[in-house]
Amino acid sequence: MLAAVRDEAVGGDEELLARIAAGSQAALSALMARHGRGLRTFAARYLGHAADAEDVVQEVFVTVWKQAARFDPGRARASTWLYRITANRCIDQRRRRALRNFFGLDDIAEEPAAPEANAETATAARQELAIVRDGLSRLPERQRMALLLRAVGELDIGAIAEVMGASAGSVEQLLVRGRRALRDHLADAAGGRERKSS
Amino acid sequence: MTREEFENNRRRFGDDIDAWPEALRGPALAFMALDGDAGADDALDRLVLQAALVEGDDRALARKVLARIDRGAARPSLVPRLLVAPAGIAACAAALLVTATIAGYQVARLQDQPQDSELLALAAGARLPDDGGPAIAGDAGEGDAL
Repeated sequence: MLAAVRDEAVGGDEELLARIAAGSQAALSALMARHGRGLRTFAARYLGHAADAEDVVQEVFVTVWKQAARFDPGRARASTWLYRITANRCIDQRRRRALRNFFGLDDIAEEPAAPEANAETATAARQELAIVRDGLSRLPERQRMALLLRAVGELDIGAIAEVMGASAGSVEQLLVRGRRALRDHLADAAGGRERKSS
Repeated sequence: MTREEFENNRRRFGDDIDAWPEALRGPALAFMALDGDAGADDALDRLVLQAALVEGDDRALARKVLARIDRGAARPSLVPRLLVAPAGIAACAAALLVTATIAGYQVARLQDQPQDSELLALAAGARLPDDGGPAIAGDAGEGDAL
């Protein structure tokens, strides 16, 4: 579904950003309709906290409103720029939360971005997705970020490298390790289910 | 999902997993992701996308962003954000250190600054008392030699 929405956006995001730079709120609304869901999904799964993700995405679009004139279409695609802003805001948000936790200002436990499926009552499909969500949440931060940028943002290796400020080789390594860890997690869960049923 | 189940479903619903019933898509993608064939990475990415999707009100998001822009308050306040940011904490610590250093120098300077009378007495050959006493008496034999 995200892919379909994004396909419509190809070729139009740069134009929207130019209109936003000129002060068009309608263009900003159109950009939010195209990318808001993807950015929120990325932020929610990276941070593991739905409310923080909502705040981050709001900040991202306010930043876009203020800095659209600084976007250079010759340097990167608009989606890469949006995910780069989002990734930086997510990292800031994570540091703020860690600091607040350190000083005891946050008593609220980490809130999952969506309720996990109950293994006994959910359908097989939901179980599978819950296992993947669980596996994602256990990945090291940078592996998780790279996988989410690939799967949710549909960015290629070069764009992911630009967003993460890493080399293409490092991103490939992160993706390989992240996918391997997820596959191991899925295989373990499948093995566990087979043992339980037998 | 076993290979046999996967192949049966493929014969029944076609090669396009997106056209399969929703309940079968996740297990099918998981099977493909673990199968190790070409396209396993793509299947895993699609599975991650499906798993990652979160519910949210896109219109509410747009309303909130536009309201913040209309208020002209991109950030509630710069100071609290600066104070909780690592750079802000480092800046505060540096400022505190510099202030304490300058204050220390000032206090020490005031305490050690000799009075004019003491300087005159020193110039005339008197010795400062070891206990830092208030006044320096002139040497009793001063000028006798002259």
